[in-house]
Amino acid sequence: MVDDVLRLRLALLASAFRGGRRLARTAVVAVLLVGGAWGALLLADRFDPQDSGHRAALVVIASVLALALAVAPLTSGLGSAMEPRRFAPFPIPAPRLAGALALAGALGVQGLGVLVGLVAFLTAWAGTEAEGVAAATGLAGAVTVILAGQALVAIAAQVAVAPTSVRTVTHFARGVVALCLVTATTAAVLADRGRDDDELGELASVLAATPLGVPWATPGAAGDATGWGIVGSILLAGMLGLGWALLVQRLLEAPERQRLAPRSRGLGLLDVVPATQGGVIAARSILYWTRDPRYRLALVALPIAPVLMMLALAVAGVDASLLWLIPLPVLALFLGWFSHNDVAYDHTAVWLHVAAHVRGASDRWGRAVPPLLLGVPLVLLLAPLCALWSGLPGAAPLLAGVSLGLLLTGIGVSSVASAAAPYPAPRPGAGPFDQPPLTAATAGWSQGLSMLTILVLMSPALVLAWLGLTSDPAMLGVAAGVGAATGPVVLVLGVLLGGRVFRRRAPELLDLVLRT
Amino acid sequence: MKKGGGTKKSTATKKSVAATQGATQQRESPAPAPPVPASPPPPAPRRDAPVVLRVEGLRKRFGRTTAVDGIDLTVRRGEIYGFVGPNGAGKTTSLSMMTGLLRPDGGSVVVGEDDVWRSPEEAKRALGVLPDRMRLFDRLTGAQMLYYCGVLHGLDRHTARSRSDDLARALALEGALDRPVADYSIGMIKKVSLAAALIHSPRLLVLDEPFEGVDPVSTAQAIDLLRAYARAGGTVVLSSHNMDLVERVCDAVAVIVGGAILAEGSLDEVRAGSSLEERFVELAGGRTAVEGLEWLTTFSD
Repeated sequence: MVDDVLRLRLALLASAFRGGRRLARTAVVAVLLVGGAWGALLLADRFDPQDSGHRAALVVIASVLALALAVAPLTSGLGSAMEPRRFAPFPIPAPRLAGALALAGALGVQGLGVLVGLVAFLTAWAGTEAEGVAAATGLAGAVTVILAGQALVAIAAQVAVAPTSVRTVTHFARGVVALCLVTATTAAVLADRGRDDDELGELASVLAATPLGVPWATPGAAGDATGWGIVGSILLAGMLGLGWALLVQRLLEAPERQRLAPRSRGLGLLDVVPATQGGVIAARSILYWTRDPRYRLALVALPIAPVLMMLALAVAGVDASLLWLIPLPVLALFLGWFSHNDVAYDHTAVWLHVAAHVRGASDRWGRAVPPLLLGVPLVLLLAPLCALWSGLPGAAPLLAGVSLGLLLTGIGVSSVASAAAPYPAPRPGAGPFDQPPLTAATAGWSQGLSMLTILVLMSPALVLAWLGLTSDPAMLGVAAGVGAATGPVVLVLGVLLGGRVFRRRAPELLDLVLRT
Repeated sequence: MKKGGGTKKSTATKKSVAATQGATQQRESPAPAPPVPASPPPPAPRRDAPVVLRVEGLRKRFGRTTAVDGIDLTVRRGEIYGFVGPNGAGKTTSLSMMTGLLRPDGGSVVVGEDDVWRSPEEAKRALGVLPDRMRLFDRLTGAQMLYYCGVLHGLDRHTARSRSDDLARALALEGALDRPVADYSIGMIKKVSLAAALIHSPRLLVLDEPFEGVDPVSTAQAIDLLRAYARAGGTVVLSSHNMDLVERVCDAVAVIVGGAILAEGSLDEVRAGSSLEERFVELAGGRTAVEGLEWLTTFSD
């Protein structure tokens, strides 16, 4: 029976290599896994058991990665073919089924991740006297993570029956994983720099007192604590195993929760926004940004440009502290610039705005909402993080100010450009790589000119930032202030001017999209 | 200030629809004879009713070709006005210019008191438009689409929702409202577009090929709706290739050929004794004798 379950599991895994879209997804996951494994082993190799900062960082990194791996199975949706309830019709005793399913669960992306993590953990402690302790607690920890992941999926599938709650669970899990990865990276950078060992140590000692951290903190502990830690780790794994068995038993007997599907006649996002022209246009814009492949591709591609720039400059030998200053402003610039052809993306549907004689500024504000909603929190969250990774004093306000300035200036300029100089875009429903049926010379200069305008308008802040970085650090704060001030001013002016242009040129815009 | 006024006015218009409908029915059927829904004789609008749409010297050239060559039209209140012409005659171009979607090279379009191109704000509030071959925001559901149009035209949340529901019921769209417009058939898209054109209760409706691809039942429903609207004082301009339909529905007709109006007036004036179709073919240049296709009658087997 056990090999039947395992064979089923392997067949399911093999299906990930079939078909175009799934294969692409599998490839992405594989790249991430290989990259993660490489990074983890590299870190483990550099681990110095004598350094208290390193020891603390190891506890923090291992704990948060364990959390990420435990939550990871939730990220790919609920309700797999390996749900315990699917086996209810077969005469399999519950404890045996629980064992088989746990074993099958270990085969897969999560299991692979856990294996890599375990190897890295053991590598870190290899050659020290704590080697044996690390093997015991690490193994117990790995089992705990795998069982916890299985149990979480089973419980979540039981609790979340409506599609919206399933989506909430998966998004939440993805958020947790992302947060954990960021925390782990930060801890690694901080330990490497060795300036914040005390804070790391504090965090590690807090984690060591929780079930999350016990298996990973024990090898670094001294005296009695080691023994208790080993017992605790094994007890934890045992308790989860028992819990899993009970859970499987319960799932096999309890009736399935029915999905109550109330036929909601809601308007979705349109119910949430104010019933004004700007409000509904904003809601419609958000729906298009999230659902239309033409927008989604751009969103996926956005982070690529900064990463490529970073790689190129890293190869060129630019200092790491400067390197970390690059991605966020570049991201903000492209995000703001992205909507410079927004009207053409509507294609002829823009007639609705023309026929209703929509106020120009309302149209522009509505279209500005998605990049603002996405960009502003992104900048505010990532600015301190990038500054932390960079380690340059005063980098956080600089990054926040300049990036916000670039984002808002970009949106302001785009507001004018999309009304004044639209060019043929892929039609709605077309693939993002499809060429528009008519390419125009306007495309080139419209793209170039709008990008150039953003940079020129932001040049005071950019020049000041450059001066601050190269000669006078006092200029960094000024650059941040100038950037943060330029953005809102250009945004408001751009929206007002773009609104006037849009209203005056509306029939010409319609004419352009009609001809393409 | 302006917006509030508009909303109030439109609510008033809606009320008067019901009132006038009731009045008309009383006037029409004093006898107990059952009403015949198939062909209620439309009360011919008097030719001295106030002018709702006046088009003068409207012109448009695309490069070297003249698409519309100085047309004049007068449409009066309560009329259902048919705009007919062969393919490429300039119907869509003319209607687009009348509704403020395409800038004319010359001429004027006045809706009520307001010029569409000089004071678009007021003119467009009085206009409901269904253009041909233009997209909708088709990732929205039908319900979202109608609500979107309503709010763009200045309706408040409650009015936009309740009118969407009313229109969906009247046009048999109810089952489809929760599906994205991208999944609709052409006929369904026409129906939801008609609903979108009506949602702000305009004084003048301009419909370009409103019944193309629409099934007969829905066409009959839509025609009933347009008749009720016209009886209540609304005005409709519609273009169509379907002469029978135009003959059945319209009070007045304009025939446009090669960008010029060749005949205009009440239905009886234009068809002048024969059927509209015969008259139309005659105006459009007559049937050309089929020559040079002799091979078509020598079948290959």
